[in-house]
Amino acid sequence: MYVILVYDMGQKRVGKMLKLCRRYMNWIQNSVFEGELTEVQLRELLHEAKRIMNEEEDSLILFKNRDLKWLDKQIVGVERQSTDNFL
Amino acid sequence: MKQPKYLFNAGRMSRKDNTLKFTPVDEAGVEEQPRYLPIEQVGDLYVFGSLDANSALYNFLGQEGIAVHFFNYYEHYTGSFMPREYLLAGKMQVDQTKHYMTAKKRIEIARRFVEGAANNILRVLKYYNNRDKVKDLTEAIVSIERLLVSVPTTTDVPMLMGIEGNIRQTYYGCFDAIVGQTFCMDGRSKRPPQNELNALISFGNMLCYTACLSTIYHTQLNPTISFLHEPGARRYSLALDLSEVFKPILVDRLIFRMINKRQLQPSDFRSEVGGCVLKDAARKRFVQGFDEQLKETIKHRALGRSVSYRHLMKLECYKLQKHLLGVEEYRPFKAWW
Repeated sequence: MYVILVYDMGQKRVGKMLKLCRRYMNWIQNSVFEGELTEVQLRELLHEAKRIMNEEEDSLILFKNRDLKWLDKQIVGVERQSTDNFL
Repeated sequence: MKQPKYLFNAGRMSRKDNTLKFTPVDEAGVEEQPRYLPIEQVGDLYVFGSLDANSALYNFLGQEGIAVHFFNYYEHYTGSFMPREYLLAGKMQVDQTKHYMTAKKRIEIARRFVEGAANNILRVLKYYNNRDKVKDLTEAIVSIERLLVSVPTTTDVPMLMGIEGNIRQTYYGCFDAIVGQTFCMDGRSKRPPQNELNALISFGNMLCYTACLSTIYHTQLNPTISFLHEPGARRYSLALDLSEVFKPILVDRLIFRMINKRQLQPSDFRSEVGGCVLKDAARKRFVQGFDEQLKETIKHRALGRSVSYRHLMKLECYKLQKHLLGVEEYRPFKAWW
């Protein structure tokens, strides 16, 4: 499953969230990640995210897609970070 | 889905916040913007550039079961960092060794590897034989088929290796007909490869070999005990056996395609002392092509679903395991398209 994750956290928690997301997905922009995840990986990620979040104040939004091929990604301006396997 | 990562730029890899941080360094030694690789998505690391790393990183990679493959300046495979075995299976090991020790059992498996390889070679040749631009390959096809018929009658491994060698020689003889306009084969040369086409074959075979090695690592098989090749010291010879089957389909077809589509030109190579190697940009393109090839899926007949070429390698290991445990006889993968 291809996932785009965006979050909005209180200042105290935003760093923790960033570090957590980095372990699972590719960073593309501030507070935005994307990547191919399995059901289990996503559940792990959300489980840990909930522990970091303050669910009264913070938000985390997921856009899920069956496969990358159904996703049309368009970049306007600078690509902050590419997500390919070649570096 | 775990994906291999290919490192072409020089830089520093480090462990940061329980994931990987790669800081590329440009030619002047200035650090560029770091990139974080999600640890959960990293399959293997292929290091083509120069990489700075410390033992903390390798401890972390070992813990996560990630192998690192190193290639030197001349694009030779220099070695791998393999994490501790994590799928240990005593019974499997004993059975694998037994099959190697018993000459009759060993030759049986070895024959299958050659059969698989030859069939895939024939598939490639037959495909190109139908092309208008390619010269007639029927003669080579017939002689390979004839050699293939004699495989089941072989009684020892050196004899089998001889036949395998003849098949390959005939096969490499056809390369000129397929890509003859821009490149010239001029016989197979290794260590070091003497011309462009040979450099491509060597480089591609090496990629295939490391892909097989990683696959074997994720199964219970022992990568050092092989059947067709002689298990030697300091090498993973089972990966050599396995890659025989996949080389024609994965590597050679990729080479033909890239050359015929002019994605590789003679200017993409440079001559080194006594050999020939790919230039950096072309090497990257080729590895990219290989990676795409591995991700390519086909509809598997027996399983009834789409599987990638990389997964086919794994299925091949499973079939071999079943054979060794006496569950089901091993039948090599034969391309049918």
